[in-house]
Order: sequence, then structure tokens, then C-alpha cells
Amino acid sequence: MQRSSTSSFDRLLAPVHHWIWRNPERRVQKLLRFGETETDGGRDLLRAAELTRDPLLRRLYLLHAVDEQRHGTLFRRRAAAMLVSGTIADDRAETAPAGHGLDDLDVARESDETMLAFLHVAERSAASRFAVYRNVLRSDPETQRIFDDILHDEKFHMNYTLTQLVRVSPERHRAKLWRARLTRLWNAYLRVASALAGVIGGAILTVQYFVVLPLFAMLSKRAAAREGEGWRAIAQRGADSMRSQY
Amino acid sequence: MKILGISAHYHDAAAALIVDGVPVCAVQEERLSRRKNDAAFPLAAIEWCLDSAGVAPESLDAVVFYERPMLKFDRILTTALRAFPRSWRMFPKAMKNSLGEKVWVRGIVSSHLGVPAKKILFTEHHQSHAAAAFLTAPTRRAAILTTDGVGEWATMTAGLGEREPGGKTSIALLREIRFPHSLGMLYSTFTAYLGFKVNEDEYKVMGLAGYGKPSLVDEVRRTIRRTPDGAFALDLDYFDFHTTAARSYSSRFVELFGPPRNPFEPIDLETENGRRFADIAASVQRVLEEVLVEIARALQRETGARDLCLGGGVALNGVANARILAESGFERVFVPPAPGDAGCAIGAALYADRLYFRNADRDVPDHPFWGPEVSGAELARIASEDGQQVGECGDEAIVDDLMNGAIVGWMDGALEFGPRALGHRSILAAPHDVAMRDRINREIKYREQFRPFAPVVPVEVADRYFELPRGGARLGRFMSGVFPVRPEWREKLAAITHVDGTARVQTLERPMAPRLYALLEEYGRRSGVPVLLNTSLNLAGEPIVNRAVEGYSTFLRCGIDVLVAGRTRVVKRGSLLVKRKEDVA
Repeated sequence: MQRSSTSSFDRLLAPVHHWIWRNPERRVQKLLRFGETETDGGRDLLRAAELTRDPLLRRLYLLHAVDEQRHGTLFRRRAAAMLVSGTIADDRAETAPAGHGLDDLDVARESDETMLAFLHVAERSAASRFAVYRNVLRSDPETQRIFDDILHDEKFHMNYTLTQLVRVSPERHRAKLWRARLTRLWNAYLRVASALAGVIGGAILTVQYFVVLPLFAMLSKRAAAREGEGWRAIAQRGADSMRSQY
Repeated sequence: MKILGISAHYHDAAAALIVDGVPVCAVQEERLSRRKNDAAFPLAAIEWCLDSAGVAPESLDAVVFYERPMLKFDRILTTALRAFPRSWRMFPKAMKNSLGEKVWVRGIVSSHLGVPAKKILFTEHHQSHAAAAFLTAPTRRAAILTTDGVGEWATMTAGLGEREPGGKTSIALLREIRFPHSLGMLYSTFTAYLGFKVNEDEYKVMGLAGYGKPSLVDEVRRTIRRTPDGAFALDLDYFDFHTTAARSYSSRFVELFGPPRNPFEPIDLETENGRRFADIAASVQRVLEEVLVEIARALQRETGARDLCLGGGVALNGVANARILAESGFERVFVPPAPGDAGCAIGAALYADRLYFRNADRDVPDHPFWGPEVSGAELARIASEDGQQVGECGDEAIVDDLMNGAIVGWMDGALEFGPRALGHRSILAAPHDVAMRDRINREIKYREQFRPFAPVVPVEVADRYFELPRGGARLGRFMSGVFPVRPEWREKLAAITHVDGTARVQTLERPMAPRLYALLEEYGRRSGVPVLLNTSLNLAGEPIVNRAVEGYSTFLRCGIDVLVAGRTRVVKRGSLLVKRKEDVA
């Protein structure tokens, strides 16, 4: 039964996930990241609930938002418990990257049908991945229980998003689901590309830092040494200076 | 003349529109995007300002950005150079961050609004703070003191403002203290050390300080020393914020104060470590107050002004503001409702109006309600769709609710501009019982027990319950001062009295929020004490609500019993969120 909720791609990656979750520091990182993502997703769903004109969807989005925010709390609390236990360095918490909510979906500009299709695809994917995580976390029953709990909610999320999508878009719901899948793929590509660009950019800037900057750094330090502390008079500039960015 | 002011890209982005010298609307981006402290370019806020005033972008006479981006970039680059080679990790991040968007403000504004580049103006960051503080205050001549983390280079400026009704305006910022020497950065460093979020949780340090003793002031003074000219300088050996983005305090700082607090570990004031953190908070708070009071006192002697206008994020420190009022020699201290960066949107626009275009001085309405209006009809529609108990109501019904111990979500009129809920988007409750404070903390705010709640009281009777010095009522207008609760009332006002016997009181004049004022009067008639607990209508981690639907979703997710928008009153009939999910799916 557990295997049925897991995609073949995720099953294929199970050894990688096992390697990632085995290490407590990586586990804390992952939990903190999930905490951020779920909380961001909850915020976006809350926004969707506030924007939709459909009363039933408003209630369902709100329920979903509360679930996501609770998941965020569960992840953060578990990470905190691991950090407080003292086995992991405190600065793990500072280095965890933030989540991206509903995959950078612009909730304010999306229709209910697009939103539901996207949510369904995202929840399905998360459920598949979380099922793998639950299976590889046998050595950490507390974290495993969190995934069990969340997987229960994910079932509800998957069901209601599909039911409601069929309700609001009986003719085009399949097309909407395909479009949501393609959008997720495209967003994943953009994230990878921008991360790669960030790494390359960072490397180039670091090289420039050590090659180009030393001379300017020396001059700047000399100038700093000549500067006094305390109050400095402010040079009065004419009103025309407001045209300048300098 | 129509001028749009914009603040963005650091924290708390906002837009404000000035028409013929007077603000007509202003709103923080977070209130529309629903992302707390949203720093993104405030497109939604700009759109709302222009739409609500019926102004087309092409008819704007100027768009004013609240700081000079290239001067800021100069500071960031110079700081990296001066910290070479320790800044090697920070440098790529800082460059990517700055060069990605922040230095292209002229192009961004021009492309979004279709405004020609020549109409786009720039003030200096602290000029914006100064204008926001001075030009919105009901004073003709005042000393000006602005203090924050950092703008372009300045972290503190001192000067003098003068304006003649219908005549000229002058804002002369005479001197400044420059980065990295910064009171804001000092406080933020301790905020980070105490495990709170920088630029967001500084007020938690102030709240925690009430539980501690300032037993470590000598240690704090080693990190910040006074200079012979009355200013101050940080001992940079204790700080790392100028060399790395990862940590603001150095290992020497940790040697001096001990291990930092793990942000994931709650502060337990019963433990030695918890008390140590409270003592550190009390000590840095004390040193901050001392420095500010001495600088303000010197400024008063120098200018001879009777009034002081405070601007910048540090002006949100109500305890320090109260000490400045009491000890610096100024008769009145003015703090605008949004002294932080959001308020710079109004400040920048006003500065351009008075000092660039040289328009005649005009009084600015003395209130914070510049945002979108709430709609009672919208609340009635949504709540009815959910089968909630909805009705039209007068204030008597709400007073009944409050008398019966209900927690009331209160939305009335236009949204506040700035971080404080000043009576238009508030949670109101009876202020008498500690159990009420604990209930709001537990069921609504989900926050630390050491953080106090604020009271609101009619200005005419404020002195009966609170020890307000001369000028204290003015400082309390926008909840900018912390004052002692009179000892004989502390027990009866237990929910709003902090552990040190103080409260961040809002003194309300009838014209500013007539409905809330009437509610206070009626509550006073019925309970004998015209004071209510007033905290912002939002949940932890979320911005203050704007529209009725946001108030409603907040209402459903927490322990608020009654929600009011305009004349519409909704009584919670059990939460929809406890229904079985399968029933609604």
C-alpha cells in the first residue's frame, strides 16, 4: 500500500533520500526547509481563500492553509527538538534556505481552476515524496510520525482538489492538470537554472574579489584610517541634487 | 501637484501619494501582498494609491524614491573593501543583491509607471525620515533626530526644522554619525544574539528587558563608547555585521556575554540562562536610552527648540522615547505613526513638495489612517455564506461582548499606516485580568509570555490611570511611549500592565477615531474604567489585516469571539475548521 502512493521516479531515488536523511544535520536542514515551504504554502493558500468568490472553495482553502501551517510548525518543532538536544551545531538554523510556497504561483492572478489543478499536482507529488521519506526514516520514529501525520492530510488535499477541479471545470479539468504539470516542470527548470547561474556568478565575483579588489581595498583602508569618529558635518546640497542617485 | 513617494528594497516597502501638499493615501506593501515586512518594489501599494485617488501615472508631477541607491551601493562596496579579505563570503552576495535590482530604481520606476526619468527624484534616507517626522507633526519649529540601522551612510542625523504656515519650509540636517557606528545595528546585534529576528523582533528585546536587571551595562558599554564630541562609536572587534551577512556579533562578543540563545529554545525566566538573557536585554536597553537621552539633551541645548521630532526605526522604542521626553529638556516629542522605512514614502514625497518644488507649507492631518477602507457589507456577505451569526449592531452590543469577556476583532474605516494598530484594525478586550492576556497569547497571538499588550484610553482621563509626564499624552497618540501604570490601577489593569509596571499606552482623542472613542466611553460607563486592551488584528507572522475578508479568515483561525467591520457584527458559532474534512470535500 505504501508503494502505491509513491511514484517510480521517487522509488528510484530512494537510496539518495536514504543517504540524505541518515545524517542528523542534513535532516535538520531538510526539516527547516520543509517548515518554511509549508508555511509559505499555507500563506499562499490563505491568500487564495481570501480572494476566491466561491464560498466552498474558501472554506476548503482555509482548511488546507491551516493544515499547511500546522505542518510547518511540526517540521520546525522537530528540527528545534533536534537542535536543542545539543548534538547539532546551532548555526544550522541560520543557513537553511527559505521555501517557495506554492512554487512561485501568483495566487492573486490565478483562477480557481488553475489554482486547484496546480494544488492537486503539487500535493500528489509531495505525497509521493513524503511516502519515500517516511520509509527511509525508520531509525527516527519521531520524524517518521510527522510524515505519517502529514500524509494523512495530503490524501484529503489530493481528493478535494480533484473533486473541486472537476466541479468548477468539468470540461477542461484534464487539460488544466496537464498544464499544471508542465508549469511545475518549467518552474523546476527555472529554479535549477537560476541556482546554477547563482553559483557561476558567485564564483566569478569571488575571483574578481581576490584579483581586482586588493589594491582598492588597500586604498580604502588607508582612507578609513584617516576618518575620525563621532559627528560629521553634513555638506548641504542644493535641491537639484534630488535628481541624482548619488 | 501630485507626488508619489516610494520606499522599497530593504524592509517594509510602501507607497504614499501627496496631492497639493497633503497626503491623500499611503499603504505598506505587506498589507496588500500579505507577506510580512514585504520589501519588494511596492507595485500593489502604488496601484492602490493611484487608483484610490483617481490619479493616472502620467499625471504625476514627480515620483520620489526614499534614498539614493548609488550612494548606498557605494557604502556596501566600501564596507566590503575595508573588511578585505574577511568579506570574501559577503562580497558576492552583496554584489548580486545590489546589482540585481536595487541600483536600477530609476529604470524600474520608469518602466512600471511610464513616468519619464526626469520626473524621478531621490532624497537621502535620513532626509526622508526627518521629513516624515517633522512635516507631519503639529509644530512650527523643532529639533530633528533620526536614528536607524543605516541608510546610505548615515545611521543618525541631527538637525533643525522650521516652517511657516503658508510659507517656506526648511529642514537642515546639520551632522551625522556614519556606518558602521550605529545604535540601530547595536540593538539589532543584541536582537540576533538573543535569538530573535533582526529588523523584525527588536521590540521583543524591549519587552524582555522589563524582566531583567541592567547588571551588564558595563559590558555593553565596552561595545559602544562615547566620543569626545558627544557622539558614539562601536568597538568593531565585538561585531561582525560589517564583514559578513551570516552573523552580526563576533566571537569576542560571545566571550563577553556568554553563549548566544538558541532561537529554537524558549526563554525560561525561571532558569539562570533565561535571567541572563533578560539582564542582557535590560542592559542594552539601558545603554541605548542613555546615549539617546544625552544626544537629545545636547541637541536641545544647541537648538533651543521646545519640540523634538524623532524618526527612524529606533524611534519605535517607546521606553527610550519616554525617557527622552522626561530627561532631555524638550517639552514635546513627536514620533510619526510610521517612523521606520515605510514612513519614508510619505517623508520623501513631502520633502520633494516642500524643498524641491518649494511649495507653501501646509498642515498634514494628524492621524495614521491613510489606507484602504473596510467594508462591513463584504464581511456580512462572506460570513452569511458560511452560516455565521451576522447582524447590524450599535456599540452597546460590542460593549456587552467586552463586558462578558469576549475578544473582539475590530475593523473600522481606513487602515493604519505604520506598525501599530491604533484603533482601526485592532483586537480589543477587557484589560482587567491576567487571564485575558494569557488567553490572547495562547489562542490568538501564540507569542512569548514576556511580551506585554497595550491599552487604549481617552486622552482626557489618561492621567488618572497612567503616570504621564508633560507631553506624555502626545507621545501616546501613536503609541510611541511607555509609561508607568499608576500603582493603584495595576491590579485592575493587569492584562495591560507589564511586569515592570509600565504600559505602551495609546491616548485617544475623539476626532482621531470617533467610534473607538465612543466605545471606550460606553465601556467606561459600564465597567468604571474606560480602558481597553488594544493589540493588532493579525496572527503571529502575518501582517495586520486590511480587508474584511482577511479579518474574517483571521477570526476563523483563532480565538477571537466577535468580529466587527463597520456596523456588521459576526459572532463565532463554532469554528468551521473543526468540521470533519470529509464532510466538506
